[in-house]
Amino acid sequence: MLPFTYAVRNLLRDPARLLQTVGGSALVVLLLIAAVAFNNGMDGVLTASGSPRNVIIVGKGSEESIERSEVPLASESAVATSVRGLSEQLGQVAVAGEIVYQAPLTTSSGKKTQAFFRGVLPPSLLVRPELQVLSGHFPGPGEIMVGRLSAKALGVPPSDLAEGQTLNFEDQDFIISGTFTAPGTVMESELWLDRNDLATLTQRESLSAVLVRTDGASIEDLEVFALQRNDLELSAIREDRYYEKLAQFYGPIKVMTWLTAGLVAAGAIFGGLNTLYAAFASRIREMATLQAIGYNRKALLVSLLQESLLASLTGTLVAFLVAVFLLEGRTVSLSVGTFVLALSPTVILVGLVAGVLLGTVGTLPPAFRTLAPSLPKALRSQ
Amino acid sequence: MSAFIQIRDLAKSYTKGKVTITPLEGLTLDVEKGDFLALMGPSGSGKTTLLNLVAGIDTPTSGTLQIGDHDVAKLSRAQLAKWRSKHVGYIFQLYHLVPILSAFENVELPLLLSKMSKAERREKVNSALELVGLADRAHHRPTELSGGQEQRVAIARAIVHNPELLVADEPTGDLDRESADSILALLSSLADDHGKTIVMVTHDPKAAAAAKRTLHLEKGQLVTATAV
Repeated sequence: MLPFTYAVRNLLRDPARLLQTVGGSALVVLLLIAAVAFNNGMDGVLTASGSPRNVIIVGKGSEESIERSEVPLASESAVATSVRGLSEQLGQVAVAGEIVYQAPLTTSSGKKTQAFFRGVLPPSLLVRPELQVLSGHFPGPGEIMVGRLSAKALGVPPSDLAEGQTLNFEDQDFIISGTFTAPGTVMESELWLDRNDLATLTQRESLSAVLVRTDGASIEDLEVFALQRNDLELSAIREDRYYEKLAQFYGPIKVMTWLTAGLVAAGAIFGGLNTLYAAFASRIREMATLQAIGYNRKALLVSLLQESLLASLTGTLVAFLVAVFLLEGRTVSLSVGTFVLALSPTVILVGLVAGVLLGTVGTLPPAFRTLAPSLPKALRSQ
Repeated sequence: MSAFIQIRDLAKSYTKGKVTITPLEGLTLDVEKGDFLALMGPSGSGKTTLLNLVAGIDTPTSGTLQIGDHDVAKLSRAQLAKWRSKHVGYIFQLYHLVPILSAFENVELPLLLSKMSKAERREKVNSALELVGLADRAHHRPTELSGGQEQRVAIARAIVHNPELLVADEPTGDLDRESADSILALLSSLADDHGKTIVMVTHDPKAAAAAKRTLHLEKGQLVTATAV
């Protein structure tokens, strides 16, 4: 085998080529990890938002969007009293009627932005055990509780959403009562306020949905309830299935993400291949000389692979460094919710695999071409 | 006692498009151990083809090629690579040194193929460089050496693993007269004092004169032999 230092020195033979290879690899890996982090984040927020134990009762025909749904107020108590096997805490059945609403608001610093409101009452905490009030308290009348990521989702300074600040919504001021977290769910970018306040302000007499946490009851039990109470015109859907459907709606965005990453990556790979073809082609005679000395093609191939892997893994390292500064912790807001880009083990693994593949698969065609000519012919090349 | 190199009815042909070219046909030749043989002839006469076959970097189409104990014509590509690493030193017209390596590292290349300690390698490389008179240039890169010095480094690389056979393709073709003479003197000394068998292709009659024997090839066949 040729010494490893031979591969290292070859790498430094042409600094411009090295820069091009490292830069190209870094770009490809960065794009890939960004795409994976984005799609993982989006999948994660949609998956975490739905619990298989929760059932959403919506108005018939609105199974794909709670925002469009209208559920009569009476449905809330009807579910609680008619269906057995629902979760209970201190005698309170885990049934929460909620109103969701999108509208502009103005912060105390005068910034206007579109926000996602959820009108709730304390039972909402019973159906969402993952939700924790980080500071302050659950909103009472005239108050709003903000999600941990809502400042980023709204694009306002965090100080605008600090406890005690005022938010103006539908010409009425609300005091921020606290902050809550519900890790990885769409709720973290929402603003929660008293359901009655929201109903009054929006002149709404119905709920958007009734959320039910089961403890023995099945989805079929709730479907039967919805069918029996056809006067209420209801439909029951498992919460995780609801968010799965929502995720399918975002499929084209994911495809576009991969397509964009793929196209730029393909460009970089072809550019890299071209660079390697040129670089290796100029060393055909050197490779032939080493073969004449007694090195076999396998040893030379290994050395060429070492060289390319060094460059591509350096590029991968650069990509990770850039990702730590540009991607890690960055909040992405979509209408479905807000999520944080994270360099998770999966993302890191994808980046590393991409780096290794670039250094190996990308090297093989030019390496084979360099080592393919017969020795007498290769020794005569310039 | 049989000759070190025994060539019998050796032929080489290859196809280029629809044309079959036969640069070497039915060649028979013996080369004794310690011989310094010059191969001359016009372009296309088959002298480089013969040199490549003897060096084991090309394989014959037919005939036998026995070098020492090895039937070289029957060796596979991998076996040939291994055989070359032990038994052959190749000297090129344009030196073919690896530009990113120092003279020392270039000479060390053949030794990296054997299981040898670093200290042993250092000793052998230093001896080879001393033999070619370049001990003081060990850490210079090829670009920092003259043509004559580069060829000396190439010769050191060819002899460092102590092969019985040296093949040289126009070793003085790119050198000025003074450097060429010194390289030819070095090759003669390797044959006379170190028992190396040398096969050299050259166009230069003065270079051929330095050899013990000169063979002339024409159209892939041996035409005359001149002994010095």
